[in-house]
Amino acid sequence: MALISVAMGRLSQAFLLLLVMSVIGFIGIHSVGNPVFNVVNIETATPEDIQRATIALGLDQPVWRQYLLFIGNVVTGNFGTSYIYHLPAFGLVMSKLPATLELASIAMLVAAPVGTVLGLLAGRRNGTLLDRTILKTSVFALSIPSFWLSMMLILLGAILTGWFPSGGRGSTASLLGQEWSFLTWNGLWHLTLPALALAIPNIALIARLARSGTIEVESLDFTRFCRAKGLSSRRILFRHTLPNISVPIVTVIGLQFGGMLAFAVVVESIFAWPGIGKLLIDSIQLLDRPVVMATLTFISVAFVALNALVDLFYAVLDPRVRLSA
Amino acid sequence: MTLEPADIPLLEVKNLGLRYLSASSPAPILHDVSFELGRGEILGIIGESGAGKSTLGNAIIGLLAPEFQRTTGTIQFDGKAVGAADDSGSSNVRGRRISAIFQDHTASLDPLMSVGAQLEETILATNETLSRRDARARALELMARVGIPEPDRRYRDYPHQFSGGQRQRVVIAIALAGSPDIIIADEPTSALDATVQKQILGLLRNLVEETHVSIILVTHDMGVISEIADRVLVMRNGRVVEQGVTSTILEAPRNAYTRGLLAAVPRLRISKPVPEKKTGRARTAPSSDCDHKSPTVTAEGVSKAFSPQGLHWRPHQGTIGFALRDVNIQIARGAITGIVGESGSGKTTIGRIVAGLDTAPAGKVTIGDNAFDVSQNGRRTGLLGRVQMIFQDPAVSLNPRMTIAETLRESIRFGAGLAPGEERPDMMAMMDRLGLARSLGDRHPHQLSGGQKQRVAIARALLARPEIVIADEPTSALDVSVQAEIVQLLKESITERNISMIFISHDLALVQDLCSAVYIFRDGRVEDSGPSDFIFSQSRNPYTRSLIDARPHRFTH
Repeated sequence: MALISVAMGRLSQAFLLLLVMSVIGFIGIHSVGNPVFNVVNIETATPEDIQRATIALGLDQPVWRQYLLFIGNVVTGNFGTSYIYHLPAFGLVMSKLPATLELASIAMLVAAPVGTVLGLLAGRRNGTLLDRTILKTSVFALSIPSFWLSMMLILLGAILTGWFPSGGRGSTASLLGQEWSFLTWNGLWHLTLPALALAIPNIALIARLARSGTIEVESLDFTRFCRAKGLSSRRILFRHTLPNISVPIVTVIGLQFGGMLAFAVVVESIFAWPGIGKLLIDSIQLLDRPVVMATLTFISVAFVALNALVDLFYAVLDPRVRLSA
Repeated sequence: MTLEPADIPLLEVKNLGLRYLSASSPAPILHDVSFELGRGEILGIIGESGAGKSTLGNAIIGLLAPEFQRTTGTIQFDGKAVGAADDSGSSNVRGRRISAIFQDHTASLDPLMSVGAQLEETILATNETLSRRDARARALELMARVGIPEPDRRYRDYPHQFSGGQRQRVVIAIALAGSPDIIIADEPTSALDATVQKQILGLLRNLVEETHVSIILVTHDMGVISEIADRVLVMRNGRVVEQGVTSTILEAPRNAYTRGLLAAVPRLRISKPVPEKKTGRARTAPSSDCDHKSPTVTAEGVSKAFSPQGLHWRPHQGTIGFALRDVNIQIARGAITGIVGESGSGKTTIGRIVAGLDTAPAGKVTIGDNAFDVSQNGRRTGLLGRVQMIFQDPAVSLNPRMTIAETLRESIRFGAGLAPGEERPDMMAMMDRLGLARSLGDRHPHQLSGGQKQRVAIARALLARPEIVIADEPTSALDVSVQAEIVQLLKESITERNISMIFISHDLALVQDLCSAVYIFRDGRVEDSGPSDFIFSQSRNPYTRSLIDARPHRFTH
């Protein structure tokens, strides 16, 4: 069936992507440096100690054999043990997932509706003061670097006013065997500033997309026809314009959400938020290859899954995709 | 047809003047427009592009952009004044008392909402007292009313699942949803094929007779006017130049502009079928005999299936459609061969395949002495410049970033193969020949009128010194008066240079005027073919006859 062939195509693409990513990641981390020196104590270690550690980590093998060994282990579900924490690498990544997931989700739950509504309003009132204000603010929000934005948020929201804490996850509650901050008031309180830091650039991005889409769609005949048939302008905006502009918006939401899962490093570092981005950077610095590879694999899978969700959404939204013949 | 005039006209426009408030052009767009519309009357508003006819329609329904300002006059609907710009006063009237139909049936409907839901929301918006169930019943009734078969089954279908004619029927159903007094139909049939156009016009006529709705029909097509309008308003440059009863205007126009408009309409000449003797040759074996000289282009056995696109959530049902099925054509040297058909008949596809712009899995194209396998792309490098195309819409077929001179020079250098610096004499001679002022060379396409742009497109094709020109609906984006000039130019320049031309069109009168041989396409097949005279006067093919009969009668002689 057609649906199955599409799904199979997707899966084979995903496998190819994972393979390419693993080669690049493996070679990349291999060429950064020798992890042995982060494992042994350089000042006290004898050459024999180093030799023993190298063999223990399997680093005495040629790199292609190390790679094959790694792939073999991954197939059996084993990403190896962290050189630094001496914990299973994949379990380590998963233990950081709740923090990242809740941060990214809350940021996107704020950014998507706020950005879309601002964009719709700006597009509808094209050329007015409101439109120009939204447009200019969005340029500003998109161009400021996230570390500066984060520090300004800490300055305003934590240091000067004392309304919010400047870092950490706060208290958590347990759900599905994981610890989540968003389940407690204290945790939500801690989430506010980092989620805002992630949401603001996305609000700007989504607002700009929604605005240009609105201008385009509202210049089409069918919105004119909707007015001619006597519909209220609010109904046209939300019932006709919004679905018609949502394809690019959802695409961007998918991509940006994936980006926040993986690369919210700056925000996570500044707010001392123990997420996946922070884990990735720390592991790269410590040349903790199993953790790096496990993180990269997780990120790739997440991107593939998000893209598949976005495609599914196209089909749900657009009958021309769903019923194309 | 006209009902007895009521005491108060349903709509009365008096001395209406409008201007467009914009920094660049504060020019007035309507001056002193006055007319009346009675109940159950069809008023045609005719004029060329820029005449202000659509603006007038939008002013009546209150859909003008806020930049438009009324300078003089009034619009009185049912004795009450209506605003011209988009204000709250007219939104009470909009949909309920006055509704609209637009030209582009594809763009008029929300592609993401089922037609049933679009009808339902209109019914609910114009009639708050109805329940959802009643609205649905009314929607089904309206779909049946406008002639959509099996409304129950089609209710949840989306606009793209309907044919063009059916989509326009849905649009008409939506326009009827609020039981309006007036429907403003802006070019309601211009995007439709001739046979479908006839049906839609018939539907509008019936609606007027049965429901006593009034229609303001905005169009550029005299044929449409002659078919259904009771009275006509001829507009030019924002002014009404003439108005009156349709038959009077068509038969005895007083204004010189109206006469010009009427004269520019290509007419189909149909001589009565001549008794049996004459040239028996052409009648018995038309398809192989339609060329008098050796053919310069032949296409043999070209077939192409529609390529399915997009994600498939359901397996393919039924048969796969064919864009072309075993098409054979021969194009005579130094002559104009017409390819006629309705949209979706494959006429454009065969042109593109001959030009090498499209591929087909089966078939052979021979150009001069070179035979080509049509299944591969990019095989035409040896032919560069020998085959040229003129497309329908010059606004999109010219590169907007290049000046006219750059466009033309490119054609001379890469088509005719002249060295840089040698193009000038060719270019100047061609511009003079096609009536393009030399000063236009420095302009960009958007600074030219539609007619000028199409002249540039013709110049570009001819400057490559082609053997064959394929013109795909080269005049259908142009006003009738401009169309006549362009056709004349094409005819002259083709014969002067002994070029062979394929003229693709849906307009029978134009094809008859221009072409020595005609192929009639239908559903990807050659339905009928032969010398032009034969096809238009003697062809017995029922499809050919139905195409000829679909022409508005006043314009067939």
